[in-house]
Amino acid sequence: MLELRIAGRDFGQPVLGEIFATVEKGDRICLLGPSGIGKTTLLNTIAGLDKTIPQEAVIGRDELRVGYLFQEHRLLPWRTLSANLQLAGATPQEAEDHLASVGLKGYGHYLPDQLSLGMARRVALARCLAVKPDLLLLDEPFASLDPVMAGELKTLIAGIMDANPGMAMICVTHDGGDAEILANRLWYLDGKPARLQWDDRVGEPGLIDGLLGKLRRLDLADS
Amino acid sequence: MTNPGSSAAIGRPPFWSYWVVLPAFVLIWALIAWWMQSPLLPTPLQVLDTLIRESASGDLWHHLGATFGRVAVAFVLAMSLGTVIGVGMGRSATTNALFDPLLVLLLNLPALVTIILMYVWFGLVEVAAVMAVVINKVPNVAVTVREGARSLDYRLEEMATVYEFSHWQRFRDVWVPQLFPYLMAATRGGLALIWKIVLVVELLGRSSGVGFQLHLAFQVFDVATILAYSLAFIAVVQLIELTILQPLERRSSRWRQPEAADA
Repeated sequence: MLELRIAGRDFGQPVLGEIFATVEKGDRICLLGPSGIGKTTLLNTIAGLDKTIPQEAVIGRDELRVGYLFQEHRLLPWRTLSANLQLAGATPQEAEDHLASVGLKGYGHYLPDQLSLGMARRVALARCLAVKPDLLLLDEPFASLDPVMAGELKTLIAGIMDANPGMAMICVTHDGGDAEILANRLWYLDGKPARLQWDDRVGEPGLIDGLLGKLRRLDLADS
Repeated sequence: MTNPGSSAAIGRPPFWSYWVVLPAFVLIWALIAWWMQSPLLPTPLQVLDTLIRESASGDLWHHLGATFGRVAVAFVLAMSLGTVIGVGMGRSATTNALFDPLLVLLLNLPALVTIILMYVWFGLVEVAAVMAVVINKVPNVAVTVREGARSLDYRLEEMATVYEFSHWQRFRDVWVPQLFPYLMAATRGGLALIWKIVLVVELLGRSSGVGFQLHLAFQVFDVATILAYSLAFIAVVQLIELTILQPLERRSSRWRQPEAADA
């Protein structure tokens, strides 16, 4: 459904190198890699936010509806939660339903500043669902959440993916543990400029363990 | 806001200060006027008398109305034009390059020059009067709004792009709330400036309005009338502040105070 043919991206110095990959329906990709390597840049490129990347570099995006969960919630603070979801294309009833589906039933009239970080992130996830997405882009959805909230959000996202088998997901994370729960495919971005070092489907149980083992060693070396 | 102990926390003075300082001021004025016994400094009561007389004859309302009409038209035109130019300049380097030199020119041009030129070129007509005010005000609005447009949050822009906001949604739901403090600043400064320029415009070339009345009173050194019209003028400006500007500001910044919005 999506084909990446990115020639590279630099901000003064090269950040992304050549990136070739395809994303299929039902893919649950966890995008891993060291901090600052360009994971968010890659996500922005896929979302079409980077105007310096030619359209031909991301083939098929124009036919897709994309839901993007940014690192910050990026809700409009002066609009109610319901209005925020409606601006993304939901009807008032759908907005209530999407809020309910992330565990915030009846919160439609609240303002974003009245929410905790974890709640705001769930609303931002509900906004992703409001566009009825074919592709979910999640940028570190579990960052700075406490373990309980992060666990709940993981279960929620896994549930959404189970309920929508045609949907694809690309989830940026630092944590190999997230990948164990969510992913059926792993991308590992590293190098200068950064390329996809691994692009592996998680088939047999041994493979993911092997990848995660490598990741953990890299994490240790990194920190 | 984050540091309540800082000097920035000194906002509006307490309400009672108005009830102490202003009456004290009137008292001192009355004492000096009583001591001088000169028509050049009438007592507060004489001014009040004049105010009541002008109001009863209808003159006050006629001239205040004329001034108010000019202010309203000039204000709407200057704000709309200045906002469009300001947003354009804040968002596009080309527009900025095109308008910035003109702004520098206009910002430093004395209001009086614009007024004289408009009257000389277009005659002593209403359009010339209003245009003179607009030309004086547009650069201030544009400069203020440009600052706002430059500080628009790129993260919300990206969000609006991803979620395919229409142009109107982007303007109404993303831009206007962020520009609001700048628009309010432009409005506040704008009204204060426009009121004053309109008086000069009326003094120089109109036959109605508060400025025209001040001109007549000046020719016969009728200080009581000058002060009466000034008082009426101050009252109208304060009325607009209290009934329009402050409620508007409270309403639009409600989202900043979640507790209040929840109530």
